[in-house]
Amino acid sequence: MEPAPTPPPSPALPNALAHLPIPFQAVDYAAKGYHLDATVNPDQVVDVVSLLDKEGLALDTITGVDWMAQGQMEVVYDFFHLSKALRVVVRTRVPRDNPEVPTIQKVFPGANWHERETHDFFGIRFLGHPNLTPFLLPEDATFHPLRKDFVS
Amino acid sequence: MEAPPDNAQLLSDCSPYVKFAKLDEMLALGRANSLWPLTFGLACCAIEMMAAGASRFDLSRFGAEVFRPSPRQADLMIVAGTINKKMATAVKTLYDQMPEPKWVIAMGNCAISGGPFVFPGQYAVVEGVEKLFPVDVFIPGCPPRPEALIEGLLKLEEKLTGKRRWPVVKSE
Amino acid sequence: MITKEVISPPGAPNETFVINLGPQHPATHGVLRVKIVMDGEYVVRAEPICGYIHRMQEKMGENRTYAQFLPNTSRIDYLSAMTYTHGFVGAVERAAKLQVPPRAEYIRVITSEMNRISSHLVWWGAFLLDLGGFTPLLYAFDDREKILDLLEAITGSRLTYSYYRIGGLYNDVDDDFIKGTREFIAQMRPRLKMYRSLVTDNIILRKRLIEIGPISKEMCRKYGATGPVIRGSGIPYDVRKVEPYSAYPEFDFLVPTCEEGDSMARYLVRMEEMVQSLRIIEQALDKLPSGPVMAEKVPRVLKLPAGDYCYAVEAARGRFAVRIVSDNKEIPYRVKLRTPSLSNLSLFEEASAGMLLPDALALMGSLDLVIPDIDR
Repeated sequence: MEPAPTPPPSPALPNALAHLPIPFQAVDYAAKGYHLDATVNPDQVVDVVSLLDKEGLALDTITGVDWMAQGQMEVVYDFFHLSKALRVVVRTRVPRDNPEVPTIQKVFPGANWHERETHDFFGIRFLGHPNLTPFLLPEDATFHPLRKDFVS
Repeated sequence: MEAPPDNAQLLSDCSPYVKFAKLDEMLALGRANSLWPLTFGLACCAIEMMAAGASRFDLSRFGAEVFRPSPRQADLMIVAGTINKKMATAVKTLYDQMPEPKWVIAMGNCAISGGPFVFPGQYAVVEGVEKLFPVDVFIPGCPPRPEALIEGLLKLEEKLTGKRRWPVVKSE
Repeated sequence: MITKEVISPPGAPNETFVINLGPQHPATHGVLRVKIVMDGEYVVRAEPICGYIHRMQEKMGENRTYAQFLPNTSRIDYLSAMTYTHGFVGAVERAAKLQVPPRAEYIRVITSEMNRISSHLVWWGAFLLDLGGFTPLLYAFDDREKILDLLEAITGSRLTYSYYRIGGLYNDVDDDFIKGTREFIAQMRPRLKMYRSLVTDNIILRKRLIEIGPISKEMCRKYGATGPVIRGSGIPYDVRKVEPYSAYPEFDFLVPTCEEGDSMARYLVRMEEMVQSLRIIEQALDKLPSGPVMAEKVPRVLKLPAGDYCYAVEAARGRFAVRIVSDNKEIPYRVKLRTPSLSNLSLFEEASAGMLLPDALALMGSLDLVIPDIDR
C-alpha cells in the first residue's frame, strides 16, 4: 500500500492570528509541531496572553528552559485551539541570575500549577503568584533540579 | 475395670483428626493463611496488585484478599511502587501504625532499589524501601506479574510456618 | 443538587475544620493528597497537594539518549503506556524527519486503541469501587486481561510496553494477534451492552453522578482540561481529530460528547469511547497494509537538529504533548512532558467548592486520575 498522502505545504505559511498585535512567526507544523511562535519581552507576557485568551485559546502548558551558556532562562507558554489545528507558542527570556516573569494566573487560573512547577524546576519567580510554594518537590525544598548546574 | 488408655496409642489413633502443635506454630499457621494486606498502591505495581486481587488471579484463593484501607487493621504491607523523599515519611508512618506482628513485601524494582529511577545525580527517589524499615520478601520485576506477587505471598507464608503450602511449579 | 446554601444560609455561624485526605487513601487512586477545608459535610476548599510520586522523568530525559528514554515513557501514565510512547517517538520522528511505514502506523493505532480500552476499563472498575460497588471491578479486569494477553504476546509486557521504537515498532504482529483481536472485538461488544444494563442504567449510580460536579466549557478552557473531561463538557476536542497524527485520518470514528458536564457525562463519554475504539481497531485490522514495521536507515546514533519539536497525542486521559529541545547532541537538552491528568486535576479546587464530600470524591473519580501522570 502507498504511504498516506500528506498535503503539500503551502508556500506562504498562514498566520491565523495575523490580526493580533503579537509578533508571530508562522512555523511549518509538519516539521515543528506548532503553527505560530512569538518571542516577547517579559513585561508583555500578560497582555499577549490576554489577547490569546480572548481568541478562545486554551492553556496547554508552561515550562522553562535553562540556557546556561547564554546566562538566560526561557519561559515557554503553549496554547491550543479547541476546534481547529492551531498551536501557539509564546516565549520570553529572562536573565538567569534574576529570573522574574509576571504571573498569568489571573488570565488563566490553570497556570497556577504550571507556574509553581516551573518555579520548582528552574527557580523562575512568577511575580504576583498567590502561592509560589514547592509543588512537586518536598515542602521544604530549596533546590531547582532542572537547572543545568544542579548537583544533588 | 479396663486398663487406662495408652497415651501413645491414643495419639496415633486420633492423629488423622486432631493436630497437636505448639501455640506459636498454630498462630503462625493462622497468620500465614489469612494475611491482611494494606490497600496501599504507589505506582505501576499497584495496578498489578489490583490485577492479582481481581478476577483472573484471585488472590483470595490464598487467603490474602482482605485488603484493608487502614494500616491499623492490616498485618502485611505490599510496597507497590516508587517511594520518593516526599512520600517516605508517610510510608514510614503507615508502617509504624500497623500493629505487630507485621510483614513487608517489596514489590517491584522501585521498592527493592529505586529501580529504573536511580541515576547519578538523582534527587527524589528513596533507593529501596529497606532504607526505611525491614523487608521480608522481595519480588523483582518492573512491574512483577500477578503470579509473581502470589509467589511472593507463598514465600512469606513459608517464612511464617516453615512449610510451603503449595507445590512449586517447575519449568518444563 | 443540594448545595451548601440550602443547609447553612449566608449569615449562619461558620465553623470550618480541615481534613487531610491522603497521600494514602483508597479513594485517591495512589498517592494524591487533598487538604480539604470542610464546613460540616460540605467542602469549602479542597486543595490537592502533589509530588508524592515525583519520579524525575523530565530530568531523566536530559541525561540519556532518545532511545534510552523509551522505557520511561511507559511509566508516566502506566495505564495508557502505548500512547505515551507514541507521543515521544512521534516528536523524535518529526525532528529526525523519519518516515514511519504505514503498517507500523496501523499497528500503532490498533495497540493504542486497545490500550485505551484497557485503561478505561481500569477507570470504570476503580471508579465504581469508589462509589461503593465492588462487583464491576471483577468484570472490568476480566475483560482487561484479554487485552493484556494479546498485547503481552506481541510486546512481552503486561503493563509497561515500550513497544514503539523511533521509526517503527519493536516487532511485527502475527496472525494469532489479528485473530485474537477480532475475537476480542466480538466478545467485547456484547460485554459493553451488558455493562450498560448492569451499571449505567442503575438508579443508584445515576443518583450519585447526575448533576454532580458540573464542569463548564469555560472552566475546561481556562484550566486546559482535555480528554473525556472536556468532551463531557460538550466541546468535541480530540487530538486525533483536531491535530490528526499517525494513521487516524484514515479511520471513520466519532468523538463522543455530552453537553451536561457532570460526572455522568464524563462517565458516558468514556463508555462510548470504548465503542469507538473498537470501531477503529476493526477498521485498522481490515485495512492493515503489509510491509516493514521499521523505517529504513534509522541512525544508530540519533542527533536531532537544534531547535524544539512538539508532538501531541490523544492519550486515554486527554492531550499528552511532548516538547523536545535539542542542541544537536545525542541526548536531549530538555524534555517537557505535558500530561493531561495535571491539567484535569487543576480545576478540582474550583469545581469541588460547595460540594458534599462524597460527591467531591465522585467528581475526583470521574476525572480519571493517574497520580504519576501528574507528578511525573
